[in-house]
Amino acid sequence: MAAANEDNLNECKRIVPLNTWVLISNFKLAYTLLRRPDGSFNRHLAEFLDRKVPPNSFPLDGVFSFDHLDSSSSSTNLLTRIYLPAPLDPSRHGTVDLTEPLSTTEIVPVLIFFHGGSFTHSSANSAIYDTFCRRLVTICGVVVVSVDYRRSPEHRYPCAYDDGWNALRWVKSRIWLQSGKDSNVYVYLAGDSSGGNIAHNVALRATKEGVKVLGNILLHPMFGGQERTLSEKRLDGKYFVTIQDRDWYWRAFLPQGEDRDHPACNPFGPRGQSLGGVNFPKSLVVVAGLDLVQDWQLAYVDGLKKTGHHVNLLYLEQATIGFYFLPNNDHFRCLMDELKKFVHSMEDDTLSKSSPILLTP
Amino acid sequence: MKREHSHRETSSVKVDSSSMTANKEEAGGFDELLVVLGYKVRSSDMADVAHKLEQLEMVLDDGISHLSDDTVHYNPSDLSGWVDSLLFDLNPTCDQVKPDQDSEYELSAIPGSAAYPPGKRTRTGSDSPTTTTTTRSMVVLDSQETGVRLVHALLACAEAVQQNNLKLADVLVKHVGLLASSQAGAMRKVATYFAEGLARRIYRIYPHDDVGLSSFSDTLQIHFYESCPYLKFAHFTANQAILESFATAEKVHVIDLGLNQGLQWPALIQALALRPGGPPDFRLTGIGSSLTGQSIQEVGWKLGQLANAVGVNFEFKSIVLNSLSDLKPEMLEIRTGSESIAVNSVFELHRLLAHPGSIDNILFTIKSIKPDIITVVEQEADHNGSVFLDRFTESLHYYSSLFDSLEGPPSQDRVMSELYLGRQILNLVACEGEDRVERHETLVQWRNRFSMGGFKPVNIGSYAYKQASMLLALYAGADGYKVEEHEGCLLLGWQTRPLIATSAWRLNRVG
Repeated sequence: MAAANEDNLNECKRIVPLNTWVLISNFKLAYTLLRRPDGSFNRHLAEFLDRKVPPNSFPLDGVFSFDHLDSSSSSTNLLTRIYLPAPLDPSRHGTVDLTEPLSTTEIVPVLIFFHGGSFTHSSANSAIYDTFCRRLVTICGVVVVSVDYRRSPEHRYPCAYDDGWNALRWVKSRIWLQSGKDSNVYVYLAGDSSGGNIAHNVALRATKEGVKVLGNILLHPMFGGQERTLSEKRLDGKYFVTIQDRDWYWRAFLPQGEDRDHPACNPFGPRGQSLGGVNFPKSLVVVAGLDLVQDWQLAYVDGLKKTGHHVNLLYLEQATIGFYFLPNNDHFRCLMDELKKFVHSMEDDTLSKSSPILLTP
Repeated sequence: MKREHSHRETSSVKVDSSSMTANKEEAGGFDELLVVLGYKVRSSDMADVAHKLEQLEMVLDDGISHLSDDTVHYNPSDLSGWVDSLLFDLNPTCDQVKPDQDSEYELSAIPGSAAYPPGKRTRTGSDSPTTTTTTRSMVVLDSQETGVRLVHALLACAEAVQQNNLKLADVLVKHVGLLASSQAGAMRKVATYFAEGLARRIYRIYPHDDVGLSSFSDTLQIHFYESCPYLKFAHFTANQAILESFATAEKVHVIDLGLNQGLQWPALIQALALRPGGPPDFRLTGIGSSLTGQSIQEVGWKLGQLANAVGVNFEFKSIVLNSLSDLKPEMLEIRTGSESIAVNSVFELHRLLAHPGSIDNILFTIKSIKPDIITVVEQEADHNGSVFLDRFTESLHYYSSLFDSLEGPPSQDRVMSELYLGRQILNLVACEGEDRVERHETLVQWRNRFSMGGFKPVNIGSYAYKQASMLLALYAGADGYKVEEHEGCLLLGWQTRPLIATSAWRLNRVG
């Protein structure tokens, strides 16, 4: 067993840059220490180990951020971190103007971002996610609203989805997030890992309740099912992730006693619902070729296509999970290019529903 | 479905030249991309850290080894040190030496796009020699969306003051008063204090320092202690570090640079009483200003009563000084070689920054008595920059967060706490020169100062973190209070805004 593991490690180290490998291996190790076999989670140690950063009202590298606490929603204080491009006028640096729209002429897409962490780890103010959101602003030309949703196992399904929904409603009602000649808030939902799952589910609710979402961006979204797929068996333990840890996180998130065919985990599975005839937003789904969850992600893409929904699939064959934490690889660049195109193609809504499959060069 | 065909280099993944450069860029030797994510790993150590991570993975995979929940972790930013500790904890029989918890690292400024410390200011105004700008973090509450005009008016007034346009400032400060009266809650209170500070500055009616009002100050501080967890956190975390450093010492000596009402020490005395193996002899030296001379003795006496009640041998000495800068080593009557020494400072050191040379004096004195640990708690804020407007903006955000955390059902404790903080605001905004004593600086700035002063960090670990978090849950109730770990120090904040920082130090034994 040890020999096979050693092979895994060597192979994995060849695929990613060394500092990326160190970063993700560090998380893998820390997370292993935090998950207890009985399903409980060492939250104090998790918060101790998590590297957090404050927001900055004074711009850094063209981006400034501030935190907003919404205490209006019924049960919880929902914290979001908002990232905006720095005002061109330096005398306005350091202050936040919440009375003016983003623009009265141009459309400025607002990305509501749900960080990953398998529903359990990280926060909006985790350094890895804060950094990623800042890069989204500068590279893709968007405003980002990062949602600090409630995490499992303390808060199971549907808490994260409820928080996501409340965040969407809050964003939609902000004057200072409006743009364009029609003064709308142009919303995209985005997330990596569990965040991608949350984005899907919030979009679902938005569709039901008639709230317009222009698109979904799912970065190796977290889905699953009772069945063990080929990719899970083939890639188990090879690239930072194991079936065992995935199972643990589903047990921690789903209602107790539920299995992985619960629709939150397996949206197009035996207990899933069809999206036929539903006005679901277009999607950009990014799949890492070395992610053991990929068969579920590809099944998700198929599920959307089957009911005539517009899906762009970006399949990055040599990418592992977390490839986007450091900008030191082609996958990162590719992702940003596709994301940028996706959120700035408002006029493409009326095009045919065919789904171009995009691959890394 | 077509699959991509990637070109695979023989040794590494294809990365483009610009990111290669970024990786190689020296940031004090640390990998810059990881620094931004909160991890300090020297590029030259990367392969070694990777190797150790592999070892750890294999050890844990065996299924035999496991880490107890009680394992204490230190400074996760120092990945190399953390990994070494884990290896040691999992393999104690192996002939590794337990790694030094207080790993040294350079505190030189980190260039490039690191998230912290942040980059330069772009406002006009000279940089002070000790400038390390903060990120001016801000938490916006629902109420503040409507209070935005108030904030803007305050800042506009401060800008007018900065430009010495007192006529305009006068008009604006009255406008602020009007706007403030239509606000509610914390926003109104904070704005009122800041407006008063501005008005005093404009009309030159400066608030006096605490002459004759020191007992009132003490009273206010007690209310502040009762109404919110900041002082309790400060005392608790400092005491944890002190206890750990005292370990099994038989005689211990704590020097409190600002005794006030001695609120920190009952808990330490009780913890010492409960120490396995029995308590040490405990000696406390309490320092206070000449205005509180009489009451210091009373405080000492009361603590003595408590110590007697729990069976701890107690000795007390008071030192009365006009300024901490006047503290000389011989005043402390150190019993060299026979006692373990802790120097404790809670919100005292920043006051010395008002007088040139004072901070160096006290650090020199501290060094010369060779303490085993120095615990420092300070406000986590950059309120000592040379540009008035910057200080004003920073402190407006800081005290807004602080006042927000105090919101709740009205009580005398709360009202007095607001007054306690209000006096700090007035000093900060209206005073200058030696009168301006509320010269708060950030943890990064204090770290630099201590580092350059010949001290090295003593990391406060996950045990203290956990205990502090649990303590907060007991006392504070509201889930807005958050403890954060930053490179061996603990910070307490409201929501995502750190407000106070506890750090611990010892002498850098060079050579």
